[in-house]
Amino acid sequence: MNIFFILLKKEMKELVTRQLLFTIAVTLLVFHVIGKSVGSHNKSSAARNTIVLLDLDRSELSKRVIAAVTAGKTTLKPAGEATIAAALAAPENAGENSFMVIPAGLEAEVTAGRASSIEYYSRFRKQASGLGPAIAASRIRRTEQAATAEISAYLLGRGLPSLAPAFLRDPAPAKEFAVIDGRTAQVSLSQVIGFIQSQSFFFPVAVFFIVILSAQMIMTAVASEKENKTLETLLSSPLDRRLLVMSKLAASCLIATALSGAYMLGMRSFMAGVTGLGADPSVAVAAAGPALAALGLTMTSSGYFLIGLSVLFCILCALSIAFILGILSEDVKSIQTMMTPLMMPLMLAYLLPIFIDMSTAHAGLKFLLYAIPFTHAFMAPQNVMMGNISQVWWGIAYQAAVFAAFVTLAARLFSGDALLTLRLKWPGMK
Amino acid sequence: MAIALEIKDLVKKYKDFEAVAGLSFSVGEGEIFALVGPNGVGKSTTLKMTATILTPTAGSISVFGRDTTRDAHAVREMISYLPEEAGAYKNLTGREYLDFMAMVFLKDRARAAAAVAEGERLSGLGARLGEKIKTYSKGMARKLLLARAVMIKPRLAILDEPTSGLDIVNAYEIRKTIKQLAAGGMTFLISSHNMAEIEFLSGRIAVINKGKLLACDTPAALKAKFATADLEEVFIKLTQ
Ligand SMILES: Nc1ncnc2c1ncn2[C@@H]1O[C@H](COP(=O)(O)OP(=O)(O)O)[C@@H](O)[C@H]1O
Ligand SMILES: [Mg+2]
Repeated sequence: MNIFFILLKKEMKELVTRQLLFTIAVTLLVFHVIGKSVGSHNKSSAARNTIVLLDLDRSELSKRVIAAVTAGKTTLKPAGEATIAAALAAPENAGENSFMVIPAGLEAEVTAGRASSIEYYSRFRKQASGLGPAIAASRIRRTEQAATAEISAYLLGRGLPSLAPAFLRDPAPAKEFAVIDGRTAQVSLSQVIGFIQSQSFFFPVAVFFIVILSAQMIMTAVASEKENKTLETLLSSPLDRRLLVMSKLAASCLIATALSGAYMLGMRSFMAGVTGLGADPSVAVAAAGPALAALGLTMTSSGYFLIGLSVLFCILCALSIAFILGILSEDVKSIQTMMTPLMMPLMLAYLLPIFIDMSTAHAGLKFLLYAIPFTHAFMAPQNVMMGNISQVWWGIAYQAAVFAAFVTLAARLFSGDALLTLRLKWPGMK
Repeated sequence: MAIALEIKDLVKKYKDFEAVAGLSFSVGEGEIFALVGPNGVGKSTTLKMTATILTPTAGSISVFGRDTTRDAHAVREMISYLPEEAGAYKNLTGREYLDFMAMVFLKDRARAAAAVAEGERLSGLGARLGEKIKTYSKGMARKLLLARAVMIKPRLAILDEPTSGLDIVNAYEIRKTIKQLAAGGMTFLISSHNMAEIEFLSGRIAVINKGKLLACDTPAALKAKFATADLEEVFIKLTQ
């Protein structure tokens, strides 16, 4: 027993270094920042727990449905307009995303044993990100359930058991519509949400791993040349030093291109599966293909190209930063810790848009996120899909500028004493 | 005899720490000149400045009349530098490494091929040159690196601790190679913390402590001056 604990103690002493504690502290800080901003953000958007209501029936039944929904803590805001198109366009509803239409004749129809339907419209915004759409969808689902239960109870209460049980269970099935950029299509809400989330969760994860992988690769390459002193040998040769920097960066550019190419191929086959073009019908979302296309949620080849370009520049930015971090690393061992300055903005850029709606976020937060070059690549698929093409181009331009700045810095570090004398140390590094 | 290397009032500061504190000496062509002294006295720093990869804080270094700061490129055309405890690209074979380095320094296929042939001979590694460097022992790797440094026939070869950490056989072979090349006219600036060894290699030595030159002469003259048969004792007496 004793010897086990002696071994355990030694292992812990080896593993729990101040560097590890520093990395943990930084990680905690990132999550704290995310938690704080998500918290305050959600508080400000919680006010909008409303559904705009068009009651075209104005019957006893529709009043009961409204009362049942309101009892579930959802606020129904009556619309003055007579049609859903007018209600969607009305300026006072500009900030509203959920609409409910109770059709004229609902009470009469269901009482006569004929099916009717209540329509639900969900508006998706171009710049939207975060959990907003998912929260709105679950609100609509709750409303649908409350309305169905109330109509069914109404019929049972009226003593109409002669009607078919299947009809009695859901006399007015919900019809869901999505509205994007003025286009409307009848499509299951969960399919649209699933599709949009695949843009904001799945693709960024892939970019995240590509960036980490390639950054680690170049940092190891530079740090090991430094550790082996092969770099000193090259620096003492008549070789043009700019060539040294350029050849290293060119090699990593090639790798970055290959990686972003692989990424685009992966994305294409994913999209083909989803929209049913290359058709794997078993994918649940595939059925929604035509509806998604009607909403404009499709990808052209120029769209793919744009996303690929954005991902490429994202990787290049990461590589140029990693290159500098590699120059400043003491040796290959310290690379893990040296990754921290790259990991922090990456995690923020990945996690924040998942939880926060960028279209309504606080200006400071927006600035922070858009200042991180990686954000632009993470959001590129969604932006391309939603038609925010100019924003993607601006993102690429910004990424290119950041890349150029870091390459210049790297070249300067290569030509002075810095390479041999400068060491970057975080608190806790020996 | 032409002057190969001239160092005047050389100073190098790392932040506030003065690693080299006013060093002056000169080396003639074809000479094997050694900086000796214990670890941390500024030998490597001096060699790095001579190899143009560090810039002096004050003073000057000229290699065959060319200044290492103002005329770095011309100096780099004449020198070859072997860093202390240097490694090589582990996934290359010995021959691929020599090929690559010859092209880097000579930029000409024909000249590079001749240099590689010379490097292969000097390394004494024979068939092992076809194997990856990561399979080499420490002595083999050092012989490969030395061969790399001298195969391009630099006018001045700068070798930092060329035999440190090697067994006597490997150390002997390396010293023999250096002596042969010097006899052919190549100039050597080397460093060593092993004074007993350096006696058998160099013509003149510069004894250094805390970045300053304590004495500069042949080992025999220094031993005679301090009336001892042991070069290490010379250092002890110099620092007292
Ligand atoms: N990059 C550096 N930054 C700060 N101090 C350094 C650096 N390189 C060397 N030194 C210090 O300068 C002194 C001389 O080092 P060095 O020239 O390597 O000595 P030697 O080769 O004689 O052992 C040592 O005290 C060393 O700690
Ligand atoms: Mg040294």
